Amino acid sequence: MYGLRRHKSMFLLPGLLTLLLIIIFPLLFTIRVSFSGWNVSSPQMDFIAGANYAAMLHDSRFWSAIMRLILLAGGTVLIQYVVGFGMALLVWRDVRGRRFWRVLFLVPMMTTPVVMAAIWQMIFHESLGPLNDLLGMLGLTKVAWLTESGPALVALMTVEVWQWTPFMFLLLLAGLLSLPKEPFMAAAIDGADVWRTFWKVTFPLMAPVSVAAVIIRLIEASKLSDSVYVLTSGGPGSSTETPGYYLYIQGLRDQQTGYSGAMSLTYLVLMIVTLTVVAAMLTRALKLKGHS
Amino acid sequence: MTLSATDLSLTVDGVDHLKSVTATFEPGRLHTVIGRTMAGKTTLLRALAGLQEVDSGSLTRDGADLMRTPVWRRDTAMVYQQFINYPHLSVFGNVAFPLRRQGLSRDEIQRRVSKSLALVGLTGFERRKPSQLSGGQQQRVAVARALARGTGILLLDEPLANLDYKLREQLRDEFKTLFSDQGDTIVVYTTTEPAEAMMLGDVVLVMHEGRILQVGPPQEVFERPATTTVASIINDPPMNIFPGRIEGGQVTVAGFQATHVSAHLAQLPDGAYQFGLRATDVSLASAGVEGAVTFVEISGSETFVHAAVGKTPFVIQIEGIHDVALGDLVKLRLRPERLYAFDEKGSLVRTPSYDLVSVGGR
Amino acid sequence: MRPRLYPVFKYTVIALWACFVAGPFFWAMTTSFKDANAVQGGATYLPWIQYQPTATGWRNIFGGAGGIDVIQPFLNSAIVTIAASAISLVLGSLAAYALSRYRFKIGFIKNSDIVFFFVSQRIMPPVVLVIPFFYLLQWAGLLDTIAGLVIVTVALLLPIAVWVMVDFFNGIPREIDEMAMLDGCGPLQTFVRAILPNSLPGLTVAAMFCAVFGWNDFFFAFRLTFTEVQTLPQAVVALNSSIPPWWTLSAAALFGVAPLVLLAIWVERYLSKGNLSGAVR
Repeated sequence: MYGLRRHKSMFLLPGLLTLLLIIIFPLLFTIRVSFSGWNVSSPQMDFIAGANYAAMLHDSRFWSAIMRLILLAGGTVLIQYVVGFGMALLVWRDVRGRRFWRVLFLVPMMTTPVVMAAIWQMIFHESLGPLNDLLGMLGLTKVAWLTESGPALVALMTVEVWQWTPFMFLLLLAGLLSLPKEPFMAAAIDGADVWRTFWKVTFPLMAPVSVAAVIIRLIEASKLSDSVYVLTSGGPGSSTETPGYYLYIQGLRDQQTGYSGAMSLTYLVLMIVTLTVVAAMLTRALKLKGHS
Repeated sequence: MTLSATDLSLTVDGVDHLKSVTATFEPGRLHTVIGRTMAGKTTLLRALAGLQEVDSGSLTRDGADLMRTPVWRRDTAMVYQQFINYPHLSVFGNVAFPLRRQGLSRDEIQRRVSKSLALVGLTGFERRKPSQLSGGQQQRVAVARALARGTGILLLDEPLANLDYKLREQLRDEFKTLFSDQGDTIVVYTTTEPAEAMMLGDVVLVMHEGRILQVGPPQEVFERPATTTVASIINDPPMNIFPGRIEGGQVTVAGFQATHVSAHLAQLPDGAYQFGLRATDVSLASAGVEGAVTFVEISGSETFVHAAVGKTPFVIQIEGIHDVALGDLVKLRLRPERLYAFDEKGSLVRTPSYDLVSVGGR
Repeated sequence: MRPRLYPVFKYTVIALWACFVAGPFFWAMTTSFKDANAVQGGATYLPWIQYQPTATGWRNIFGGAGGIDVIQPFLNSAIVTIAASAISLVLGSLAAYALSRYRFKIGFIKNSDIVFFFVSQRIMPPVVLVIPFFYLLQWAGLLDTIAGLVIVTVALLLPIAVWVMVDFFNGIPREIDEMAMLDGCGPLQTFVRAILPNSLPGLTVAAMFCAVFGWNDFFFAFRLTFTEVQTLPQAVVALNSSIPPWWTLSAAALFGVAPLVLLAIWVERYLSKGNLSGAVR
């Protein structure tokens, strides 16, 4: 359009430059520091080439944290999706107390993860917590939720599911509420039952929203570390460590700045690649070419 | 205050949206641009408004270059096919929006909005939101907003296309008086409907595939379509076009055994021609050439029979409802005195000399 | 499933999930009224019947002996959240408008790539940012200040604002922009007078997400502010790391999440009106 060329940058640049300025320094800094031996005893920007990267390759604690994250994120996001979709379907239409359920089911995502993790820590407490108390009432043995590696992972996943299923619920319910009515009428006229209607009508129509919701959650889940910090501090041992938390240990607590920089970048690249591949696969699987 | 477009061209992805469009738009006149969908009508309007950049060509107003003038200083109003209004503003707010931008006084705005709304018959609707109005009313708001400003150029892009038939006729009649009162405004109005173009236009521009094929007063364009394409665009149903020959003053139409003699074609040199005949000038008869019915439309007062003679399709418009079924064999009779003759490339050679009776009330 | 059993199944599932969702809140609520004796006696749930309620926990969070004062952290959190959200919304919707309406082409970079650049910042793990930020803010003298935290939080929220608003603006017909320009508005006027007033649903959704993620951020605040500026999540977690006075922790936690629980009520209202559907995709 005539006379508009000059204006388009006026709209874009303030935001773009702000973000670039905020992001670019940390990124360059991290790249540079990852080639240095900067640590707590010699905090300086020397050059040690790829030594940090070489060390990282043999750091099994880092790699198992990555594997753990993939399982944790994949598992919890899947549960969040299934449960969130299920709950959204249940309170979508004709249900009593609809608004009450909707508000209640949204609440956890609004609450602060670290704060709620502190509450969950009480709940999982071995001797004083209510969970073991309830298990006792049912005649089951007490579980050392936060001090044994298996149960600690279950506890962590429980908190993640509790916190973020509402996010899936929100996106999927909003998606359901915006669906056109006609396909459902057509299905009803064809005499399709609930099950068929879901698989033939609802699910395909919800595919774009589903993909978007799952990808957003995977992105957020890849950063998992706050609740680990509060709930288990990565323990027992390092059995609940995620990359985010391990990086915190190395980079901030132990101030191995150079080494943690190398791991940060590796982790960032791995996440971008994985998420891009997953996004492409999901989009392809649901034949969503042309949708974002 | 003449608006002149010279040699406007625009190609997008290999498709010509505008191809060397040259046209002059005069103040105080209503120009209707007629063409089929995708003919480039909307692109032309958008180029005139400055909303669409073109690849080449120029646009001047009284000789002054307009190309560098941004949209917001063009003194142009536009009405869209899709009833576009500001959703967040009331009817009053919508019509007042451009006036407020001009910095008019409250009283002046009040006066102009009232006058404008009265013109389109929406007095009393000031406080409604566009979403609370019917499609026809929404389009009236858009027209009222365009009129209230009193701009030098008023563009209307198929403003009636999305309305139902009855409303379309009603608004078309209102537009007739509305636009004739617009003083020195240049009005450009696009449509796909021949009746609309003929009835409203002081000047008709026929567009096809990005080109302007013919410009002239409605009667002239209707009586003397420059090409077969124009002839089919400005007639509804489209004019029947079919190949034939003239030999020694005798007309032979492909597929018809009989020859026709028609005084106005008799002097034409021998050779191959294309002939044009309006649907009203073909009739069903007890004797004549046989055609197979491919499609029948009944509009209520008229029946449109589509029939194929050999490979040549014909549309026959007959009064009243007729019991013709798909696949029936019907006998066609042409009125030779109404034949248009075009050369093989489609340019007009000879028109029939007959009185125009039924064209848009003229 | 048999039609008659379906309602039973439906309400059972809803009730079970509701218990799971509400459980932690119920536990925090009941614990906040306990004292040391009540906590150490094992898990109890019902005040008066199982334990004698006291208001010690609640008194402690408002400056009571051995507790903290949550008012200042609350204000800090509120200021940071509101300021960062406001900046992100303004910059984000301007950028989103540009990306929705104009075509950019800088070399091989197109609009979708710029949108991706904004959104991709969400993938950045906070740890990657926090160490450099530490030195950056230290150099700028903004360590342990509200201003420093606001700047960092903008990096967190701006991508969200752009993501929501690009989608929303794409849903507004371009003809509205064109009409406004024909009506005499320059580009900025077009945005302010014709587009923004029609973008309230989108802006509200974006504001909601910004508020949630801004208010709930812990990591940046934890590493970049210390004594002068403490946000609410920081204050609560600080309580947790000392020997847990469960009653104080519970009261502080409930106080900290309360504002956003109110937000949930309001989001639902919005959802029911159908305004969210266009904005969340």
